[in-house]
Amino acid sequence: MSDGLAVELRQVVKRFGEVTAVESVSLQIQHGEFFSLLGPSGCGKTTTLRLIAGFEMPTSGDIIINGEMQGHLPPYQRPVNTVFQHYALFPHMTVAQNVAFGLEMKKVSKDEITRRVGEALELVHLGKMGSRRPKQLSGGQQQRVALARALVNRPKVLLLDEPLGALDLKLRKAMQGELKALQEQVGITFIYVTHDQEEALTMSDRIAVMSAGHVFQVGFPEDIYENPNTRFVADFIGETNFLHGTVHRRGPLAEIAIAENVILPARWASDELPAGSSATLSIRPEKILIASGDEKPPSDGEFVSVPGQVAEVVYLGTDTRYVVRIVDGVQTVVRVQNLEMGNKRFKVGDAVMLHWRVEHGRILKE
Amino acid sequence: MSSESITQQVPSMSRRSRWARVKKSMGEFSLSLYGWGGYFFLYLPIVILVIFSFNDSRSTAQWSGFTFDWYGEMIHDSQIILSLWNSLFVAVISTIISVVIGTLAAMAMERHVFRGKLLMDAVLYLPIIIPDIAMAIMLLIFFDISGIGFEPWKVSLFGIRLAVPYSVIISHVAFNISFVAIVVRARLAQMDRTLEEAAQDLYADTWQTFWKVTLPMMMPGIMGGALLAFTLSLDDFVITFFTSGAGFNTLPVRVFSMIKKGVTPKINAVSSLMLVFSLALIGISLLLRKGGDEEPTIGIGL
Ligand SMILES: Nc1ncnc2c1ncn2[C@@H]1O[C@H](COP(=O)(O)OP(=O)(O)OP(=O)(O)O)[C@@H](O)[C@H]1O
Ligand SMILES: [Mg+2]
Repeated sequence: MSDGLAVELRQVVKRFGEVTAVESVSLQIQHGEFFSLLGPSGCGKTTTLRLIAGFEMPTSGDIIINGEMQGHLPPYQRPVNTVFQHYALFPHMTVAQNVAFGLEMKKVSKDEITRRVGEALELVHLGKMGSRRPKQLSGGQQQRVALARALVNRPKVLLLDEPLGALDLKLRKAMQGELKALQEQVGITFIYVTHDQEEALTMSDRIAVMSAGHVFQVGFPEDIYENPNTRFVADFIGETNFLHGTVHRRGPLAEIAIAENVILPARWASDELPAGSSATLSIRPEKILIASGDEKPPSDGEFVSVPGQVAEVVYLGTDTRYVVRIVDGVQTVVRVQNLEMGNKRFKVGDAVMLHWRVEHGRILKE
Repeated sequence: MSSESITQQVPSMSRRSRWARVKKSMGEFSLSLYGWGGYFFLYLPIVILVIFSFNDSRSTAQWSGFTFDWYGEMIHDSQIILSLWNSLFVAVISTIISVVIGTLAAMAMERHVFRGKLLMDAVLYLPIIIPDIAMAIMLLIFFDISGIGFEPWKVSLFGIRLAVPYSVIISHVAFNISFVAIVVRARLAQMDRTLEEAAQDLYADTWQTFWKVTLPMMMPGIMGGALLAFTLSLDDFVITFFTSGAGFNTLPVRVFSMIKKGVTPKINAVSSLMLVFSLALIGISLLLRKGGDEEPTIGIGL
């Protein structure tokens, strides 16, 4: 069992009439993984989750859970449970009755239900709340009940649709840590939908970035951040500079011309493009070193060096954000940490030199 | 509160603010006057009716002492008692039937897309819109042409023999379905569909989902619809009068035929009794509303 996949999607398509919500999505999710679906609003995250849960049936493609084809199985016959965005707790039942619901449907014995419900409520720190109604709980507590109600069934896979979306920022941060710890404790596969990139980066083992029904990239958080393979992913996750130009020379290390005589080496993010085709160089603001003209870059490794002029300085507390003009009409953002030792400060109008490691610059298809 | 503290702090404004206060209290006074006037107008006749049901005289215009005699007479009037039983029987049976059908109709309208839904939507609410008299005549013609319905349903309740024409029950069901459907549908529309999905996610099949989640969530609406149907059935005169054929009386029909022979305090007594009954029903519905969950239940509107 352990060598198989927890969930596999094979070229799943879902159309609602004219609208294509999910377009040929293939995913492979390992047992025990914390897997996130990340993307902007309307990109098809919820639909993907609902397809796995069985609330929607795919227009085409296969969904395999725990090695079994789901076909048109209804939700109540699938070995998954869902935590809904607005919790969907039954208002006419107590907290304990809510948590017991799934076990009762499965005809588990009374004694075992009582024991497991107690354990599940303990697990989410709600041991004493069993006799309350959902309405008598705070948002965060309701969230935990929803979690307990799903986990008590020991599903193979837990599906979570923006479970922290309705909580305020502080509680949200606290719950992120708690949820991650809980997942590690119970060892259940989590498929987690969110549009918050920070949340996805901090909690996930792997992330699938979606847009307009497509999965653009699947990878570890560092991978997604450091090596985005498309313009969309680079843009959606974190801040980045896009320098537009044309491919000057192909090869493992490409060169891209962003102006008449500004030619920058960088790595391909995806397939190589022929010389002369237009491309975009992406470089994260915090990867750029800003230095005065005579300063040399560090000697360990290959650096790209470009002269420029400071156009804007914004002090942000922990960071300073510079906008540097490279040539007319081409600017890049540079973020520098305000360290104790003190990085050199620059003023608007200063002539500066920008350095970054060659491997941090990535060329993306237009 | 705040206007007072301002008055103390800024003496120059005091005259203006005092005038404002006077104006305000005048406004409040005249508003409450309107309110009381409205209540007076609405309830005075009812109060008079109740008072004169205790009048120790045949006259319904002049007070001449307190008595329970009319209530005694009412209780011993076998016609009135029979018609009361008829009313209750028709109301109970037609409420049960219309609650079942009306609830199913509400679910169909709210949850399914089917051919002719729009037409069904319009037709379902027709009985609410068209005048009672039109409905009564239509039903009468229907029973006449089809020849069904006029034979009585014979039952014996607590030693009292009732013979209730099916036509009356069918007619009451016909107009009650719409009211039940509206109330239940309003409740359904408010209900969060993800609750049903959550139940299915927790291994409840379609049937279990209905019993464990949908029905309990609909219950306040169903109870509201039932009370509404029961009250409407008890109160109905026009449709019952037209569709009952000869010799069958519900309480309102009985009162009508008594009035033809002249108004006596006995009628007041019967009316007072019906009033108490209606008030009790309203009380029950309010209790139910409170006892249900805190979500507002739309339109019990007794
Ligand atoms: N039942 C439906 N009928 C028609 N269109 C639908 C339906 N459900 C979803 N869609 C469409 O499919 C697309 C994807 O919707 P989905 O709810 O999966 O987005 P999402 O990524 O979850 O967005 P959000 O972050 O806003 O929740 C949207 O364009 C949406 O309008
Ligand atoms: Mg969504």
